[in-house]
Amino acid sequence: MTYAIEAEGLVKYYGNNQVLHGLNMNVKAGEIFGLIGANGAGKSTTIDCLLGTKKLDQGTVKILRNSPNPKQKSHFEQIGVQFQESAFQNGLTVKEICEITHSLYKNPIDWRTKLADYQLEHHVRSSISTLSGGERQKLCILLATMGQPKLLVLDELTTGLDPIARRQIWNNLRRLNDEGVTILLTSHDMHEIETLCDRILLLKHGNVFMEGTVQEVLSKSGAKSMDDAYLQLTGEGIR
Amino acid sequence: MRTFWLLYVAEFKLSFREMSSFIFGLFLPVGIMVIMGYLSTTNEELVTTFAAVATLGLVSTGVMSLPLSLSSYREKKVLKRYKVTPISPVQLLVAHVFYCFSLSILSMFTVFLVATFGFNMIFPGSIGLFLISYLIVMISIHSIGMLIASTSPREKTTAAMSSLLFFSMLILSGATIPFDLLPSVLQSIAQLLPLTHGIELLQGQALGSPFTSYSSLLLLLVITTVATTLSLRFFRWE
Repeated sequence: MTYAIEAEGLVKYYGNNQVLHGLNMNVKAGEIFGLIGANGAGKSTTIDCLLGTKKLDQGTVKILRNSPNPKQKSHFEQIGVQFQESAFQNGLTVKEICEITHSLYKNPIDWRTKLADYQLEHHVRSSISTLSGGERQKLCILLATMGQPKLLVLDELTTGLDPIARRQIWNNLRRLNDEGVTILLTSHDMHEIETLCDRILLLKHGNVFMEGTVQEVLSKSGAKSMDDAYLQLTGEGIR
Repeated sequence: MRTFWLLYVAEFKLSFREMSSFIFGLFLPVGIMVIMGYLSTTNEELVTTFAAVATLGLVSTGVMSLPLSLSSYREKKVLKRYKVTPISPVQLLVAHVFYCFSLSILSMFTVFLVATFGFNMIFPGSIGLFLISYLIVMISIHSIGMLIASTSPREKTTAAMSSLLFFSMLILSGATIPFDLLPSVLQSIAQLLPLTHGIELLQGQALGSPFTSYSSLLLLLVITTVATTLSLRFFRWE
C-alpha cells in the first residue's frame, strides 16, 4: 500500500495549550480523505503541521514519501493547497492570479481550458473581489491544481456555498480524483463528507476519535446519516 | 524570473487601481512642486525646493505603501499561501519593494522635469552624487517602513503608525513647509526625523555645496542598518 500522507505521533502546543496529542494519520494514495471535527478540534493545525507551515513539537510526517519542509520548495510542485481563507492580493483579476500561479510550476495545466470546466471563463477579466463565494472557491481549487499536484489539500472546502456551487465543486473534485489525485479535505458538512470521502478521521480535542470508511463509522454509531453519527459520536449533540 | 516579473507588474497594477500611492507619491509632489515653483524667486530656492519635494515619493512608498501592503499580505495569508508553492514568499516581498523603489524614482524624476521645464531650474550640483544620495535616503526610509511591517501586530496598527510617521515627515521635515519657516520647537522635533537629514543631504548635493552633512549621512546609514537588521529579526510570515 502506498501512502500519500503518513503522520505519526503529532504533538503541537500553542504556548501551554496542547492542540495535538500524538495524532496518527495515514492517507492512502488515490483516496479522498476527510478530516472532521468541531471548531477548535485541531483540523487546521493538523494541516499546517502536515505541510510544515507550523512546526511540530513532536512526531514525524511524510508526504509523498518526503518530509515536508517549507524551505525545500520543489516538494510543493506535487502538493496543491487551499487554506481556509482565499489568500490573494486584493484587486487582482482572475487572469492575473492565474498567470502568476501558472508561472510557479514546472508542469502547469492550461488554465484557460480549466476556467471553462469550472464555468469561470466569462470572468477572466473580472476582479477576484467581484466573484461570488462559489466562484471564488472554484477559482481557489483551480489554482490549487495549477501544478498538476499528486496531492490536493483543501481546508473547509465548501463552507457557505449554495447547493449548486457545492455540487459543481464536488463534481470537479471527483474528476480530479478519477485522474489519480489524492485529496485531503476538512469540512463541517457531513453530507459532503458522506458523498465524497472514501475514508474519514474524526478529530476530538486533538486526538483521533474514530477512523474508517463512511460505512464503518455509520455502523459503529448505528446512525442512518453522517450528520446523526457525528452528533452521537462526538457527544456534542443538542441538549 | 517570470514569476518575479509578473508579481512586480501586478504590484504596479494593484497600486494603480487603488490609487492612494499614486496620489500621495506622484500627484501630490508634482502639485506641490508647481505651487512652490511659482513661489520661488531664485534658482537656489527652486533647487532647494526640488530636493525636498523629490523625497515625497519615497516617503509615501516607504512608510505608507510598503508597511501597509506587507501587513495586509500577512493578515490575508497571502504570504502563507506562497509558502506552500514552489516559490518563496520572499519573491512577493522583493517585488513589492522594487515597485516602491520604481515609483519613488519615477516621482523624483517627474518632479525634476516639472522644475526644469516648468520653472527653468538649473541644477548646479552633481547629478551622479545627487542620485547616490537619493538612493541612500530612499533605502533608509524604506528600511523604517520594513521595520513597521515586521513589528506591527495588525493591519490597523500599521495604518496608524504609517500615517503618524508619514504626516509628521510631510509637515516637519521640510518636504512641504520649508524647514527654516518652522518655529524653533518644531525644528528641534524635526531633527529627530530621518527625512529631515535626508533632505539636508539632498539639498547639499543639489546645490553643489561642499559636503558637510557627515552626521546626516551617518545617521541615515545607521538607521538603514539597524532597521533592516531588526526587521529581518522580527519578521513574521503569519
